[in-house]
Amino acid sequence: MVDQYMPVRRLSATEKLWQFPWALLMLVAVLAAFGATALYSVAGGRTEVWAEAHVLRFLAAATAVLVMAQVPVTIWSRIAYPAYGLALGLLVLVPLFGSEALGAKRWLSLGGLTIQPSELMKVGLVLALARYYQAVAPEDVSRLKCVIAPLVLIFVPVLFTLRQPDLGSASLFAALGVSLMFLAGVSSVYFAAGAAGLGLASPYIWAAMHDYQRRRVEIFLDPDKDPLGAGYHITQSKIALGSGGISGKGFMQGTQSQLDFLPEKQTDFIFTMYAEEWGFVGAIILLTIYAALLSMLLAMALRAQNPFSRLLIAGSAVTIFLYIFINVAMVTGMVPVVGVPLPFVSYGGTALTTLMAGLGLAMAADVDRNSPLWSPLSRFHPATGERLTAAGAPMAGILGIVPKRVLDRVRLR
Amino acid sequence: MAGSDHRDLPSGERFTRRVLLLGLVQAAGFAALGTRLYQLQVMEGGRFAPLAEDNRIDFKVLAPVRGRIFDRAGIELAHNNENYNASVRLVREIDLPKTLKLISEIVTLPAGEQATLLAKAQKQARGSMMIIASDLSFDQIAAINLLAPQLPGVETNSAHRRAYEYGDAMGHIVGYVGRVERHALDDDPLMRLQSVKVGKSGVERGLELGLRGKGGTRKFEVDSRGRIVRHLEEIEPVQGSDVVLSVDLELQKKVVARLARERRAALVVLDVTTGEIVAMTSTPGYNPANLAAGLDETEWKQLSNGEDQPLLNRAIGGLYPPGSTFKLVTALAALEAGAVTAKDKCDCSGSFELAGQTYRCWKRQGHVTADLHKALRESCDVYFYNAANRTGISKIAAMARRLGLGQIYECGLPQQKRGIIPDPDWKRAEFRAGWLDGETILAGIGQGYVSTTPLQLAVMAARIATGRAVVPVIVRLELGIIPDFEDLGLDTQALALVREGMIAVVNEAGGTGAEAQVPGSRILVAGKTGTSQVRTNDQNDDAEDIWEHRDHALFVSYFPANAPRYAIACVIEHGGGGGAAAAPVVRDVIEYILADDPVSRPYPKSKVNAAKAMPSVSDDGGGGNG
Repeated sequence: MVDQYMPVRRLSATEKLWQFPWALLMLVAVLAAFGATALYSVAGGRTEVWAEAHVLRFLAAATAVLVMAQVPVTIWSRIAYPAYGLALGLLVLVPLFGSEALGAKRWLSLGGLTIQPSELMKVGLVLALARYYQAVAPEDVSRLKCVIAPLVLIFVPVLFTLRQPDLGSASLFAALGVSLMFLAGVSSVYFAAGAAGLGLASPYIWAAMHDYQRRRVEIFLDPDKDPLGAGYHITQSKIALGSGGISGKGFMQGTQSQLDFLPEKQTDFIFTMYAEEWGFVGAIILLTIYAALLSMLLAMALRAQNPFSRLLIAGSAVTIFLYIFINVAMVTGMVPVVGVPLPFVSYGGTALTTLMAGLGLAMAADVDRNSPLWSPLSRFHPATGERLTAAGAPMAGILGIVPKRVLDRVRLR
Repeated sequence: MAGSDHRDLPSGERFTRRVLLLGLVQAAGFAALGTRLYQLQVMEGGRFAPLAEDNRIDFKVLAPVRGRIFDRAGIELAHNNENYNASVRLVREIDLPKTLKLISEIVTLPAGEQATLLAKAQKQARGSMMIIASDLSFDQIAAINLLAPQLPGVETNSAHRRAYEYGDAMGHIVGYVGRVERHALDDDPLMRLQSVKVGKSGVERGLELGLRGKGGTRKFEVDSRGRIVRHLEEIEPVQGSDVVLSVDLELQKKVVARLARERRAALVVLDVTTGEIVAMTSTPGYNPANLAAGLDETEWKQLSNGEDQPLLNRAIGGLYPPGSTFKLVTALAALEAGAVTAKDKCDCSGSFELAGQTYRCWKRQGHVTADLHKALRESCDVYFYNAANRTGISKIAAMARRLGLGQIYECGLPQQKRGIIPDPDWKRAEFRAGWLDGETILAGIGQGYVSTTPLQLAVMAARIATGRAVVPVIVRLELGIIPDFEDLGLDTQALALVREGMIAVVNEAGGTGAEAQVPGSRILVAGKTGTSQVRTNDQNDDAEDIWEHRDHALFVSYFPANAPRYAIACVIEHGGGGGAAAAPVVRDVIEYILADDPVSRPYPKSKVNAAKAMPSVSDDGGGGNG
């Protein structure tokens, strides 16, 4: 028996604050400040429209991140599957009780609270996959049954979001999940086979898409087809970016956004608005800050000591990257308009909450990095030292919130 | 301690490798975004900048107030009444049906009209303005402005509606305005304004450029809904120049009333010293006020295609064979060429033979024998057959042109006809045939191919009266300005002979124009009658019975004969003999002038703004050699 149960010395609250990755939070605060500035400009020099609320939301979220980082990573690993199960349950309820907007059912009203289960799922999926790979032996990750189980975890929410329909979230789940599987060490053969399969399946995907989704893709491919209709957004965004030039039109001087030619300028198209006023130089500065943030996260992932922590941190990095890439690629006309906001800069609480929650988990994992003796997320039961197996856990996750007792009973041997 | 969980090591290495790979993928993603941004913002930035500018900047062309038109005494003939209209900018954010519905609560806008406007909006360019209601009262405009927040893109503008006074007398001269036709669009952005109307006829058309004025522009920033965010700059429109016509309304009214006794007729009164057209009438007439108000289709058809063509200004657009009035041309040409002298006599037996053809004199028994004086006085055809034959067509045609026939005067009167002064070159071009001597004989008495307008005949009379190249104008010259017309270089003796002949026509016994004498006046009138045949002699037997077959009656004159001031030409279609039908009309007009001389009216300087040099539009009205 090589593996053994190690007793844990818990860090004190002060120690945890000392360990907290402050630089990372500062970088995020800088991005939120960029957002507030852009929102102040886009509101025609008023704070009360968007900028103020944006700052308050960020401060609340940052406080939440600090609190989340205090929670021992073992707790997070315990609630990983339940969280996934809860998110999935809500996702299932959306088509039944959800409210419809713009031709899609995405929101769920619970009491006075309106939530978007697909956002919850973005955190839940990372948690579940990280939790799953914590329980799989490294030599087992490429075994077929250990590939199928995470694929199920990924594609169940993909299917439900596609039905809403929410192409943006669905593709984000897919990309996020596949990235985490790749990081977990699944053999490259599977990814090559998956890419080939996707290529073959694409005509059927096209056929299964909604008309408005197909139209978006068509207009993306040729925005001039309908310059005043659906291609309007892309065309106006390109005009705004192009006319911004190298150095931009200046703070509060962006005519395209100030005069309302730019749609969704405070949310999905805020990058365009920002780059119109600050030009190519400003755009590159913003992208550089994002790159720094992602580098820090990946470095954090590298110094983590167990699969759960690593994937939690890397999952947060991948989510942020996907948001940035899809958003900027969308406003520059490289991918169809799918409605993904720019992380920490765009106005709106939902995405901010999701992204900050992801960061909070990553930070919680990082704060506990120096407790290797405990091996908090061993594939062995913390109490009994029994080895857990790969198959049962995800099943339990999919079934929803399962009490620990039940979970324990499902394990083999 | 890393070593304690040693089974993680291999997977840890793999994780590190894969994280680095992921980092590379992310770096590649950022590189792609950076490249795309470089392409859009740096390489293609110049292409997008004007597009953003187009989005942002909107121009509004401000219509100038059209210049007014006065008679020579300063009586207003055309002016502008202020009214209002509402228009909407056709941009994609505007819900036009809803806008129209809201507007219809203020202005009566029946459902059918709303549908028409919606259909029209489909055809118009996006971003352009469309008038949705015009002729609005101030109260209606105020109500629309009050609703402005619910009516994005709707603008209210003050507009002007052209109004005409004394249209019955002045219709042909003043003309009227109408919507700009697509093919008539010129470079002036004003023409694209729906509220702007342009001259369609008369002085309104002929002096369009001066009357129109210059459009101003208002430049402003708009948002995507077309709402004005801020005004950038404004260039005021320049009001169109007012025009003082040379025509005297008082005289014109009397002449119009006198000519109204005829079915179709035209008369022109020229001031021979200035070339000013003092009166110009064409019967039947029309009132442009009715046209400006808008006609329905049947009314318009009747006006434009009616039997007597009331829209046609016969004074400049009616072509008539000048008949015997042309003998003045033949006489001057023959004298200058030496083909005849004052003393030469010609036997008139009532006919003239050439190349087997017989040409009759109007007086069947003939004039026995005639010299030039008698030939003019009694209008002996045979004398002028001989004279024309000896002079030759080229010299006759040249003299006709020197005297102002066969040309269009760029005086601000559109739709003039050029008429025909035939010569061998003209005939070759027109018929691909050679000139026949017999045609010279006919041309010598103003028949055959020769055709002229009443205005040209008045110019001819004025040129004979002064010996100078009088050019007609429709705009009054300021007092004291007397144009220095070029001397025609005519032999003074020849001129004297012709002038004496013209005096004899009216004042000597046997003269054909005795009716033109002004009874009880010492004013001596000079003139020449003309009776031009509509059909050939052989056909002309029923001429007295059928109106359309009767001869045209013509009379040209100038007076006072010893110090000429006015020249008058009068044509009465199918009026019969010139002496009997046209001369009395001219005499009446002379009496009107003598009773109330229009030349003496003071120049109405105080009423007029910027009546400086008016650019005129050259326009031959498609007449040509029609």
